[in-house]
Amino acid sequence: MAANLNGANGNSNGNGASDDAFTVKAGLAQMLKGGVIMDVTTAEQARIAEEAGACAVMALERIPSDIRALGGVARMSNPEMIKEIQAAVTIPVMAKARIGHIVECQILEALGVDYVDESEVLTPADDAFHVRKADFKVPFVCGCRNLGEALRRITEGAAMIRTKGEAGTGDVVEAVKHIRTVNADIAKAKAALAAGGDLAIAALAREIGCDAALLKRTAELGRLPVVNFAAGGVATPADAALMMHLGCDGVFVGSGIFKDAATPEHAAKRARAIVKAVAHYTDAAALIEASVEHGTAMHGISNAGLKPEEKMAGRGW
Amino acid sequence: MPSLTVGVLALQGGVGEHTGLLRKAAAHLGAEFDLVEVRTAEQLARCDALIIPGGESTTMAIVARRLGLLEPLREFVKVDGKPVWGTCAGLVMLAEEASATKKGGQELVGGLDVRVLRNRYGTQIQSFVADIQLPFLGEAEKPFRGVFIRAPVVDEIIITPSVASQKTPEPVEVMGVFRKVGSTDVDGGSVEEDIVAVRQRNVFGTSFHPELTDDIRIHVWWLKQVLDTARHKGLPVDSAV
Repeated sequence: MAANLNGANGNSNGNGASDDAFTVKAGLAQMLKGGVIMDVTTAEQARIAEEAGACAVMALERIPSDIRALGGVARMSNPEMIKEIQAAVTIPVMAKARIGHIVECQILEALGVDYVDESEVLTPADDAFHVRKADFKVPFVCGCRNLGEALRRITEGAAMIRTKGEAGTGDVVEAVKHIRTVNADIAKAKAALAAGGDLAIAALAREIGCDAALLKRTAELGRLPVVNFAAGGVATPADAALMMHLGCDGVFVGSGIFKDAATPEHAAKRARAIVKAVAHYTDAAALIEASVEHGTAMHGISNAGLKPEEKMAGRGW
Repeated sequence: MPSLTVGVLALQGGVGEHTGLLRKAAAHLGAEFDLVEVRTAEQLARCDALIIPGGESTTMAIVARRLGLLEPLREFVKVDGKPVWGTCAGLVMLAEEASATKKGGQELVGGLDVRVLRNRYGTQIQSFVADIQLPFLGEAEKPFRGVFIRAPVVDEIIITPSVASQKTPEPVEVMGVFRKVGSTDVDGGSVEEDIVAVRQRNVFGTSFHPELTDDIRIHVWWLKQVLDTARHKGLPVDSAV
């Protein structure tokens, strides 16, 4: 998959070294497939996630539901806290930077995080440009609501994509909407390639605002050319399995593990249950077990009740 | 002629990448294999050989434990002696010992009398691609592009005193080493060298990810070993290959 992407993204300048660099970046995401990446705010939570079988953790100061509740400007986390989490676990540690904030990304790279999430969950720092991610050695994951947005991020150098949901709500509806949109867009690209070849691909690339070569590659593959996880609003084992069913390669769980958890043990149970649901998303018996183990889910906020300005998924373009 | 069943352990990680290359390698050999993803003990029982892919070894171990798959895997590797190949996290799973594991350690399948050091080169920023000489592919073969992602290496070959079996343990063969560029000292100084491919009996492990390349050579070589083992056991396999 990503190994064949060479030449179609911002990392390639025609020599083998940059193709290798992208293989290594996208390759880590390939190794995370079938796994759950959990938002954690302390070393203790990171250990709970690791023990539950998370394939990576996302270190951030506040889980999205608390960012939402608190308001104000959400920024990159304190490096001290990220270091504590790095020291506590052996699985990959990711961290979020604001959209367009090159310096936050440089700081995270220098800290040695394994992946940077240029994330709409934080307050955007640049309203015109995303970060040129190909310039970094650390790989990036970015959000998308449709195929055009995903391919623009990949052209900038993102080595992993997550379909945006509405973070911190515990309402999965937006995550479902966006993976369905990406899937429908890919079907359209396949149909365009079959019916009209390169010219039809060029026309569609203009329409959705992306690189034509990368769009053609996507149409040929019949899927996004990098790993794609679901993110935002995934709160239960059933939600996580639903996202796998819709074609995601894995799942980010933000607030769903630790929000409203009665005790650390309850959070650990939720974490284990979601790992089980993703590993066995087609096995009904395993999903029953996982749902029982999970217990009470976070209370959540219905997406339908949110005003447009309260939504995070619309940030970025 | 019944074809052999080759499984890829599908608990987490780069599963499809291996099945894709296995398919190409089988076509190259002109041999038929049933390729299956393994998530249950029943599926494992059907397999004549198994790949444990890259991924997060802690996640795989935890999921395998919960599914009751660890013991069947140990039996597959150590008792049945069926061919197994682990890449990266798969190598960690197949080692008898691992260091730099999570607090409290991690469960392993074992089978290779080695100790692996997890994340030998550091975090993702230290991940890299480098040419590796693999003599088992043939002396005249060009080097293999080794993709090392948060890779483990074989830190030490452990000589296990096999009191129970009274048998001399089969030797661990070093199948490939990575020499750090610039570490060779012509004046006879120290050369920094890591063991990145090993084999003991039918158990094979690589630190790097051939499944992240388009190079089918190792998959072809391994499938040949699988066929040889089957022939040795008297299973009916296509002798033309």
